[in-house]
Amino acid sequence: MHVLLVEDDAVLSDGIARNLTNHGMVVDVVANGNDADALLQRREISVVVLDIGLPGIDGFEVVRRLRARGGATPVLLLTARDAVEDRVYGLEMGADDYLVKPFATPELVARVRALLRRAGPQQSRLQIGALMLDTVTRRASVHGRPIDLSAREWAILEYLIRHSGRVVSKQQIIDAILPWGEELTLNAVEVYISRIRIKLGDAGLALRTIRGFGYMLENAH
Amino acid sequence: MRSIRLALLKWLLLPLLAINLIGAVGTYWLAWRPAQLAFDQNLADAAWTLLPYLEQRDGRIAFELSRQAEQVLRLDHFDSVYFVVRNARGDTLAGDADFPPLRTPPAINEPLAYDSRMRGEAIRVITLFTLVGTEPVTIGVAETLWKRISVRSGASFVGLLLLELLVALISIAIVWFGVSRGLSPLQAMQSSLNARSYEDLTALPAGHMALELEPVAIAVNGLLDRVRHVSRGQQEFLANAAHQLRTPLAGLKTQLEWLQQRYAGDQDVARSTLLMMASTERMIRQTNQLLALARAEPSQFERARLYPLALDKLVEESIQHFVEEADKKHIDLGFELASVTVPGDRFLLRDLIDNLVDNAIRYAPPRGCVTVSCYAADGEGVLAVEDDGPGIPPSERELIFSRFYRLSDKTTGSGLGLAIVRDIAADHGAQIRISSGAGGRGTVFSVHFPLATPAQDEVQPRANLR
Repeated sequence: MHVLLVEDDAVLSDGIARNLTNHGMVVDVVANGNDADALLQRREISVVVLDIGLPGIDGFEVVRRLRARGGATPVLLLTARDAVEDRVYGLEMGADDYLVKPFATPELVARVRALLRRAGPQQSRLQIGALMLDTVTRRASVHGRPIDLSAREWAILEYLIRHSGRVVSKQQIIDAILPWGEELTLNAVEVYISRIRIKLGDAGLALRTIRGFGYMLENAH
Repeated sequence: MRSIRLALLKWLLLPLLAINLIGAVGTYWLAWRPAQLAFDQNLADAAWTLLPYLEQRDGRIAFELSRQAEQVLRLDHFDSVYFVVRNARGDTLAGDADFPPLRTPPAINEPLAYDSRMRGEAIRVITLFTLVGTEPVTIGVAETLWKRISVRSGASFVGLLLLELLVALISIAIVWFGVSRGLSPLQAMQSSLNARSYEDLTALPAGHMALELEPVAIAVNGLLDRVRHVSRGQQEFLANAAHQLRTPLAGLKTQLEWLQQRYAGDQDVARSTLLMMASTERMIRQTNQLLALARAEPSQFERARLYPLALDKLVEESIQHFVEEADKKHIDLGFELASVTVPGDRFLLRDLIDNLVDNAIRYAPPRGCVTVSCYAADGEGVLAVEDDGPGIPPSERELIFSRFYRLSDKTTGSGLGLAIVRDIAADHGAQIRISSGAGGRGTVFSVHFPLATPAQDEVQPRANLR
């Protein structure tokens, strides 16, 4: 997983690089738009973390040139400004996501991972805590012991794992598993969640209820 | 201080009073003069009646006045009458010897009237210079002034003067009223300026203004324009400074996060990095608050920037952040979000929601409870945030919206949050209400927005393509 980090602030780019490296990513760092543009033409990059305000050509221009060449590399824009115009313009230029400084590193890592996932082949094995889901064999296990999940439970749990650490609403869960085409009430989601909770048992996971809104799956501390 | 009213009154009243005084003197003179002339004429007649009693005999002047005739002459109901006849050398030929020296009239047989004194009293004297045969004599007749004084203090005469006084008083009243009316546009301008809030820098309406006030209004508008310009400059500076701070703060934060991971096992380092992280987080929040404040400034806000926005969706956008903040204090954070759309500015409304919820989390006790709700009721879109904290005494409910006001020194707030909420609510024409929570505990902040009118379509702001 090759991440190209384009950031002209030395302290910030060093910090981001260390943190991404810490999460098992290989990071190339450049400090201006022209170098980024040149590197993108030479090397295979999995994802670009790109500051907008750069010396030389700016981040918008780097994305524009990348897309103009037909490059599909996912791009995460970083900016100090949060004006809606900047965001919309960046996305229109072909960026995939947008993060306003200062951000929390877990947030950055999660967004980079999401972009990598979208770009790369789907991971067949999802793991969190002692829970393992194999999306190919459709087998689930806790501490290596197989557990039985209905199709609905599987869909909901897979969705929760893919969004672990994030709050998801009941409606989001329904929307995500609707491809089955049936109506599902908010109450039904609650029933499935309580069943999943029982089946997770001692997996070391917390499937938290966010009162009046939804759920969040995270490692129990 | 110079007063226009006093200056106007001075310039109008003093000349007016002077004219009135001249008028009064004139009236007095016009009324008194004929009476004086008539009395003088009477006295002159008395002098003329003395003339037949004088004749020249053997080169001497003889005066034969019977006792009866003298009584008739001296008879008067009010005044004492005196007379004297003197020759050219001033020797008294007849009459009252103590009569004061006589002034000689300029011409023969032309009586002269003047005031003098005799026997301790003021008198009016008539002198008549004539020739008796060939001998020049001067006749003097005088009377005391009682008759004249009684005429001068008579009812009609006093009435005339009172009328003069009344006219003067009415003039003063008219001038006072006129000056006040004349100054009323100035007072209207003053009260309209007084009624303004410090944020209202719009120009004075020049249309229906008095001609003389227009230059003043133009000057005030010029000043307001310059103030607005400077204020905008300051807001831009604030926003720029806040933006400039974001990159170094992000650097600091990422470095600290790496340190935290790297030295998680070392208690001393972990403690120190935790404290540094807390400070960094506070700096970040303060910076974002300054930015929000600059953005929310009502004088910089244009209503045209409001678009229909779903309140419940806006809350959802920030929900991750809220849950993380609530987890730090183990607060039970709950939501009751009904679909409701209000006209709003996306960034400002997010700032408002962020600040209200952060505020509630800050003031709720550890393991407390915070509930965020939104719904439509009575033609209003309502966003409400309830906590089970100590509550806010009614006396402080106004104060908490001032900048840098903090209810308690135990919480680590910037003191800007509620000021931002107030500004943003004002931008949206929304009202903030504070009440006690369920069971009289805690606080409910509710923001009441006017609902989006059906005419407004669900339009999102188009990006300006550069």
